[in-house]
Amino acid sequence: MDTNSIAIIVMIVTFLYLGYQGVPVAFALMAGALVTTAFFTKISLPSIVGQMFNGVNQLEFLAIPFFLLAGDMMTQANITARLIRFAQALVGHLRSGLAHVVSISSMLFAGISGSMTADVAAISTVVMPHMEEEGYDPAFSAALVASASTIAAMVPPSIMAIVYGAVGNVSIAGLFLGGATPGLMVGVGLMVYSYLFGPPGMRKRRPTFGELMGATRPALLPLMIPIIIVGGVASGVFTPAEAGMIAVVYIIVVLLPLMARGHFRRLPRDFMEAAVLYSLPMSAVASASAVGWLMAYLGAPDIVHGWIESVSGDNRVVIMYLMVVVLTIAGDFLDGVPAIAIFMPIIISLSQLGHIHPVHMGVLIIVSLAFGLITPPYGLILLLSSTLAGVSFARALRQAVPLYCVYFLVISVIIFFPNVVLWLPRLILPTSVGCFPSPSGSGYICPP
Amino acid sequence: MVLCALLLLGFTLVEIADVLCRNLRRPWLNANEFAAGFFVWGVFLGMGVAVRRDQHFRLTALAETMRGARRTLVETFNRLVILGVALSMVFFGYRNYLNGFGSFLMPSLTPIAVLYAAIPVAGGLIALFTVEELVNGWRHGFEGTGKALTDPSHLPIT
Repeated sequence: MDTNSIAIIVMIVTFLYLGYQGVPVAFALMAGALVTTAFFTKISLPSIVGQMFNGVNQLEFLAIPFFLLAGDMMTQANITARLIRFAQALVGHLRSGLAHVVSISSMLFAGISGSMTADVAAISTVVMPHMEEEGYDPAFSAALVASASTIAAMVPPSIMAIVYGAVGNVSIAGLFLGGATPGLMVGVGLMVYSYLFGPPGMRKRRPTFGELMGATRPALLPLMIPIIIVGGVASGVFTPAEAGMIAVVYIIVVLLPLMARGHFRRLPRDFMEAAVLYSLPMSAVASASAVGWLMAYLGAPDIVHGWIESVSGDNRVVIMYLMVVVLTIAGDFLDGVPAIAIFMPIIISLSQLGHIHPVHMGVLIIVSLAFGLITPPYGLILLLSSTLAGVSFARALRQAVPLYCVYFLVISVIIFFPNVVLWLPRLILPTSVGCFPSPSGSGYICPP
Repeated sequence: MVLCALLLLGFTLVEIADVLCRNLRRPWLNANEFAAGFFVWGVFLGMGVAVRRDQHFRLTALAETMRGARRTLVETFNRLVILGVALSMVFFGYRNYLNGFGSFLMPSLTPIAVLYAAIPVAGGLIALFTVEELVNGWRHGFEGTGKALTDPSHLPIT
């Protein structure tokens, strides 16, 4: 074994040992990088610390605080509850009605905050008590809420997509649009599963047209937020950061005066919370960037590249399945955001090996990392929802296992049919997926 | 924390001004420099605040399941690791800061050192808060210092 391989192993073992000892991830990563640099390389330590700065000094990241602030304001001002009531009016009367409400609410809320944690916290507190009243097994509720919340990682304004786009130099608009279909597929898949195999719940009568309109009207203004974000970014009018800022301004200028005037007093607190919240993933990204950079220096992408090439050749499908396995396991132990920064050099290298479109690969990686957050041994999001539901992690896990089928199916569809990811970006923003205007003047020419 | 909120507010106002100026066809060329400055300082100062509030993401809450001398030992070890990283940020970050006077932000030609300075400052804050936690922990015990792993306000943004 050569020195570089030993250095990589020392870095990973140091991180895992310190991480499992209880040292915060950002510091465990940085400690691993500093120890490895000091003992195994000729790199100067200031340049490793400098990588922390380079990791976060990217204009694309400026969007993250705005989306977190928007999600926080919506939840704290209780505007999220209007979206849930709207979902209830739409699907609450079906078999397993509240289970469908969870899936629909997650899809709607995901379009505002882009954060799975915020999604679980918002949906659990409002819907779970009603699910318990209707006789749903709390373990099933926890599994469903956790699974549905992963949609936030896929649909715009996904924070993982922003980080992936910034670190991997991939179009964020392309990732936003490309992730929409898989996110929708997961949501619909969970609804189909709940309808066929979930608890029946209490059957309610179908709402009248007036009742449906009554629930739709209060939700219309909040539902404008995903439209502003996606529309602004996809049309090229705004950057993701500007779209996030406009969403925040829209909430402060339009939503709060009309729907939660009393919340203005709490605005300074929202800013304070969001200011600390956005620094958490970013500090992990800062440290993970140093680790990712060091990994690239030590040749880790070449080692993994060689290993995967020996198994898969340049077979695109096998490469993608191997990446799903690696990243689902990584997602079990690491938050998705630092995992992207660490694995990016390897992802780029393998995308080139299999001639995989960067947006296609990006969406697959994001779905895999999101899936890792609800799988054992340490599915962070499932752990959170099980605690909020008051059940053990093991019980929630037993209920979650059948739901994994939905993910296996979605992941396989993404791998075998790249157009599931690429059709929407090609339709709305062709340049985001490498298409260029046809010299004849009509339409675009897209790479295969 | 108030400073972090002010940085976020400043950053929001810069973005608003940038969009307005662009639409009025009088682009504000320095907007990105200001936005990046507010953002980077916000990240690193927030990193320090998160140490004080014990809000950073952890893989396990192993220490919280322990009691007595064993817990003191593990908590002390964990904080010494954080302290080591923080002091590295101060020492090596300061050297980067000095080097930063040779590179410039465009188009204002401000030395990039104004951004690099955020790392040693954050390192200093983290070291300070870690020492505070260590001293408090040794004097009053570490029980009750850890936050529940599954409290939504203490989870990472995923």
